[in-house]
Amino acid sequence: MEDERSFSDICGGRLALQRRYYSPSCREFCLSCPRLSLRSLTAVTCTVWLAAYGLFTLCENSMILSAAIFITLLGLLGYLHFVKIDQETLLIIDSLGIQMTSSYASGKESTTFIEMGKVKDVVINEAIYMQKVIYYLCILLKDPMEPHGISQVVPVFQSAKPRLDCLIEVYRSCQEILAHQKATSASP
Amino acid sequence: MVENSPSPLPEREVYGFPPRRPVFFLSSQFGFILYLVWAFIPESWLNSLGLTYWPQKYWAVALSVYFLITIVIGYLLLFGINIMSSSPLNSIHTITDNYAKNQQQKKYQEEAIPALRDIPISEVNQMFFLATK
Repeated sequence: MEDERSFSDICGGRLALQRRYYSPSCREFCLSCPRLSLRSLTAVTCTVWLAAYGLFTLCENSMILSAAIFITLLGLLGYLHFVKIDQETLLIIDSLGIQMTSSYASGKESTTFIEMGKVKDVVINEAIYMQKVIYYLCILLKDPMEPHGISQVVPVFQSAKPRLDCLIEVYRSCQEILAHQKATSASP
Repeated sequence: MVENSPSPLPEREVYGFPPRRPVFFLSSQFGFILYLVWAFIPESWLNSLGLTYWPQKYWAVALSVYFLITIVIGYLLLFGINIMSSSPLNSIHTITDNYAKNQQQKKYQEEAIPALRDIPISEVNQMFFLATK
């Protein structure tokens, strides 16, 4: 069963949340970030090339112009491959664990898996980020030493940064699965 | 009607705010007058008075400019230090700290206001986001 809704991120850009209910114990959330806009691409290219042309008129060395072209191309490729994240996915499987996948604009995918035995809870936390206070969803990991302690905090949806309405939807679904998991693990 | 408030009264405003520590006030006023004398009166007049050992007049302007720029940079620096020292999003300090971990659990008494304590984040989240929306 699939469901798609549109939300906005903390800067006001549009996000699309796709929810897939595979079974009562397995759910997937897919957040798509806005694509690289043509406007920002042309703006950056124009600034770099104007700066290079300004340097060229000062130095009279034409290597600067070709260097600027190379830098723009390599910079764009590096940005698409290492920085620009297209889609972030959170997959929760009841008895197995939680998997987070980020897929970049160049097609690269990076995956992190946390097994259910280590997961203490999934919560919405508030923290200071730059000059704002934002809500973000994070996974709390258990501390092997202390029964009620938290050893690590793993934030999810780091580059999409959705707002609270989207986070509440994801939070409620995660809590249903975690409650289901606790109920089945408590009963022998 | 006698006003005992420390705020500037109309008849006192001519003389400035009544000082708490007259020593600091007088010495700062004296320092300021001395600075003005040094900055404005030409070298020859001061020399004729017999006061010859002064710093160069360049410093009269330079020091005030340095001071003002330090204040402006101080604003920016303070803002930057505040941003740098806020915990990153994956830090445990956004959730709990040593005081919260070691807090004592007080017994619940009937008809009394419950004692102040740090509630774990899971409970807070359940109360805010799961309870009847």
